[in-house]
Amino acid sequence: MLHRRIYQFFIIYFLGLAALMVIKYGLSLSDYVIPSPAEIWQTARRFFPIYFVAVINTLSVAILGHILSICLATIVGIIGRLTIWVGSFIRVAAYNIQAYPIVAVAPIIFILLGDGLSSRLLIAAMICYFPLLLSFIGIFSEPVYEIEHFFESTLKMTWWLQVKIRAFENINKLITVIVGSATLAMVGTIVAEFIAADAGIGYSIRIALFQSDLAKILVALFLIGVCTSLYLVWLEWIGHLIQKRWEIPEGG
Amino acid sequence: MRPQQRKKLGYIFLAVLFFTCIYSFSGEVLAQEKEEVAYRLKWLFNVSVVGDLWADVNGNFAANGLQVAVKPGGPERDAIKELELGRAQFGVASADQVIRAVSKGSPIVVLAQLFQTNPLHWIYRPAKSHFKSPADFKGQTVGITYGGNDETIMRALLAKYHIKENELNLFSVRYDYTPFYQGKVDFWPLYINAQAPIIGAKLKKAGEQYSFVSPDDFGIRFVANSVVTSRQMFESRPDTVKRFITALIQGWREALDPANNERAIKTILQSDKETPEAIVRQQLPVTRSLMMPAPDFPFGKIDAAAWKQTEEIMLSQNLIPKPVNVEKLLKPPVP
Repeated sequence: MLHRRIYQFFIIYFLGLAALMVIKYGLSLSDYVIPSPAEIWQTARRFFPIYFVAVINTLSVAILGHILSICLATIVGIIGRLTIWVGSFIRVAAYNIQAYPIVAVAPIIFILLGDGLSSRLLIAAMICYFPLLLSFIGIFSEPVYEIEHFFESTLKMTWWLQVKIRAFENINKLITVIVGSATLAMVGTIVAEFIAADAGIGYSIRIALFQSDLAKILVALFLIGVCTSLYLVWLEWIGHLIQKRWEIPEGG
Repeated sequence: MRPQQRKKLGYIFLAVLFFTCIYSFSGEVLAQEKEEVAYRLKWLFNVSVVGDLWADVNGNFAANGLQVAVKPGGPERDAIKELELGRAQFGVASADQVIRAVSKGSPIVVLAQLFQTNPLHWIYRPAKSHFKSPADFKGQTVGITYGGNDETIMRALLAKYHIKENELNLFSVRYDYTPFYQGKVDFWPLYINAQAPIIGAKLKKAGEQYSFVSPDDFGIRFVANSVVTSRQMFESRPDTVKRFITALIQGWREALDPANNERAIKTILQSDKETPEAIVRQQLPVTRSLMMPAPDFPFGKIDAAAWKQTEEIMLSQNLIPKPVNVEKLLKPPVP
C-alpha cells in the first residue's frame, strides 16, 4: 500500500513537472518564470534538510489539528444528531463558522492567540473539521432500525449505546471520511503558516514567494506530497486494524 | 407561422445582423486608431500609482495614440512574469525583483525610476526607543518581513554599521500591526507614503508620538519601484515604448504638480474607494517628496549609482549568484 501510494504520487508530481518544462521550453521562458531542471535539482540539494524539518513540523501540527477536529466533530456530531433545539443550534453554529473564509478569521485568531502553535492548530482544525462534521452528523442521526428497535423495545437503549451501534454499522464510512479529511488538515496547517506563523513549510513557501523562487516552492510541494502520502497510508493502516478488530467472526 | 409573420421575423433578423456588423466594425475602427497595451502595476490602486491613474484618466495615453489597460498589482502578481508571458507590455517592479529576474535570464529593461527615495521606513516611538543612528538598534526588537526587501535593506544597514544579528531581536512581521501597537516590537517596517498616515493617525489617537527611520539617510540607497518592459518590446517597438513612457511621465508630472493637487486626489479616490479622503490628502505630499525631491526634478530619472548599490547589496547577501551588470538594463528612452 505504501509503495503504491508513493509511486503514484511520484507519477503525478513528475507529470506536473514535465508539463511545466514543456511550457517553459515551448514558450522560451526564463528561469525566473519557470526554473530549469538543473536549478530545481540544485535548490533541492541545498534546501532539502531545511524544508524536510519544516514539513515534519507542519505534519506534526496537522496531525494534532486532525485529532482535535475528529474529537470536535464527534462531540458536535453526537450532540447535533438530536432533534432538540440544542442540536439544531449547534448545527447552525457549525455551518456559520465554516461559512467564514479562514483568511478573514485568521487575523482575529492571531490577535487572540499570537502566531504560535495554538493558532496553527486551531486553523488546521477549523479547515478540516467541517467535512468530518457533516459526515458524523449524517451517520449519528441515521437510525439503524433493525438493531435499535430491539434495545428500544427492551428499554435498554442509552445514548451511548445508540452512538456505538451507529458508529459500528458505518465504520467504513467513518474511516473513509477521516482519511479524506487528513489532506485538509495538512492544507489547513499550511494556510495558517502562510498567513501568519514563523515556522513550518507554509512559512517557507511564503518566503520563497517573496523571493519569486518557484524552484523552492516545487521542492516544498514535493516534500508536502510525500509526507501527506505517508500520513494517509498510516491512517488507512490504522483504519484497517480497527475494521479487523470490529469484524464479527464467522459463525456468530 | 403565417407568411406575414415570417416576413416580419426576417426583417427583424436582418436589422439585428446589420446593427451587429456596424457595431463590430466601429469597434475595430476605434481599436485600430489606438494601439492597445497592458500595464501591470506593482501594487493595488493607491497613492503610489497616482501618476499611472492620471495618465489613463486624463488622456495622456490617448493623446499619444495608446489605449492602456492599467491593471492593479498585488502580492501574487509579478509584472516581470507577465511581460515574459506576453500578458502585459509594460509593468512596475522593484529593483530587487528586476535584478533577481535578470540574474535568472529574464530579458527585461528599465525605462524609468518612480521613487527616488525608497518609501520603506521603520516607524518607532521616540518616547520608548531612542534613535540617532543604526547603532541604536542594539538591544531593540526590530520587525522585518523574512524574504521581503525590508529584510534585505535592514541586513544591509546592520552590515554597514557592523551590528551583529545577535545584538538585536529580529521579529517576523505580518500585515497585522498588533505587535507594534502592543509595544512588543520597537521598530516596524512600513511604506511612509501609503501606510504611515494610517498608522500615525491611530497612534495619535492613542496619544503617542512617533518617528521614522529612513535607511536612505544612513547611506542605504535601495531602489524601489521602476517601470520595466521586455527587451524584445524595447527593440522591436521603440516607437510604442517612447510614446508610452512620454505619456506616463507627463501623467506623473501633472499628477504630482501641487497646482493639480485636488484633481490628483480625485483621481486616486475614483480608483481607491477604501482609503478616506483625509488620509489621501496626507499621503500625496509625502509621495511627491519621495518621487520629486525638488520641483524641477526630472521625473523618472534613473539613479544608476543607487541601482549599482542595490545590486551590490543583493550580491553581498547571496540573493543573486553573480553580478548582472545592472547598468546594462537601464534604458531610459528619453522623451
